[in-house]
Amino acid sequence: MSVISILIFLLIGMVIGWKWFPEKWNKMNINIQLVATLVLIFSMGVSLGSRPDFINEIVNMGVRSFIFSILAIGGSIAMVYPLTRKYLVDIRLKGEEDTDDHCGSH
Amino acid sequence: MIIAAVISLILGIACGQFLFSPKLVEFFAMLADYALILLMFSVGISVGENKLMFRKMREYNIRVMVIPAGIVVGSLLGGIVGSVVLRMPLRESLCIAAGMGWYSLSGVLLTDLISAEIGTIAFLCNIFREILTFLLIPILAKCLNGYTAIAPAGATSSDTSLSILIKYTDEEVAMMAVINGVICTALIPILINFLYTLFS
Repeated sequence: MSVISILIFLLIGMVIGWKWFPEKWNKMNINIQLVATLVLIFSMGVSLGSRPDFINEIVNMGVRSFIFSILAIGGSIAMVYPLTRKYLVDIRLKGEEDTDDHCGSH
Repeated sequence: MIIAAVISLILGIACGQFLFSPKLVEFFAMLADYALILLMFSVGISVGENKLMFRKMREYNIRVMVIPAGIVVGSLLGGIVGSVVLRMPLRESLCIAAGMGWYSLSGVLLTDLISAEIGTIAFLCNIFREILTFLLIPILAKCLNGYTAIAPAGATSSDTSLSILIKYTDEEVAMMAVINGVICTALIPILINFLYTLFS
């Protein structure tokens, strides 16, 4: 399956969700996501487990996965913190100060 | 959900290793394709029907991209460092890091695109990311700021991590978390495809 076809289904879903999807079906939609996710993960497990040398590989893969998760989280925090300080926290504080001043004038 | 995901994975591995015939393994590979289509379609509906979020996005304007942009760039920088530290090809490392917490999609997508090994690393990496997120949110909200607590969550900030973000931050941050989660969710397949094509 190509990524493009996956993106097309995402886009079709977005259009349907935006234009026609009734709110009362939200719960059913969430349950569909849950079932599809579990089927996907189970199928991935089957594909992994069918590899003859899987058991020998899993420890090595686990360590590499953990290192990647630490690095991705660390990078995200290192980038988001200064950006939010500059563009979100400071502006919000300023807005709150302005609101306080405005309230105080009445 | 994370417990159900881990149990599903372990059951799948056990079935693949000890029970299923090669034909059944092939059937589940085909089933995964259909499940992925269904998941993407259903996630698309969830994104599209969230009209309050779109209104908020207009209100915040370009500032709405601050957190997702930081998460994307930061995750990819982590992937570059991972490529050097673990001596893995840059394309694989970047694609793994681009999962941003969406373990089911990144795992299956990279199994399809690259290999079962890379798909598993992506899956586990993003499972670890979600677990660590639960531990980090209270610390980040207290020591840095509420918005930064969204950073480790990535795409999960609009679903599994949201309840913890609400507990340790405020309504404004929670709304940003929902918007960030939706943007990251829509970005992940595009980003993985882009990185895979760019470095092929």
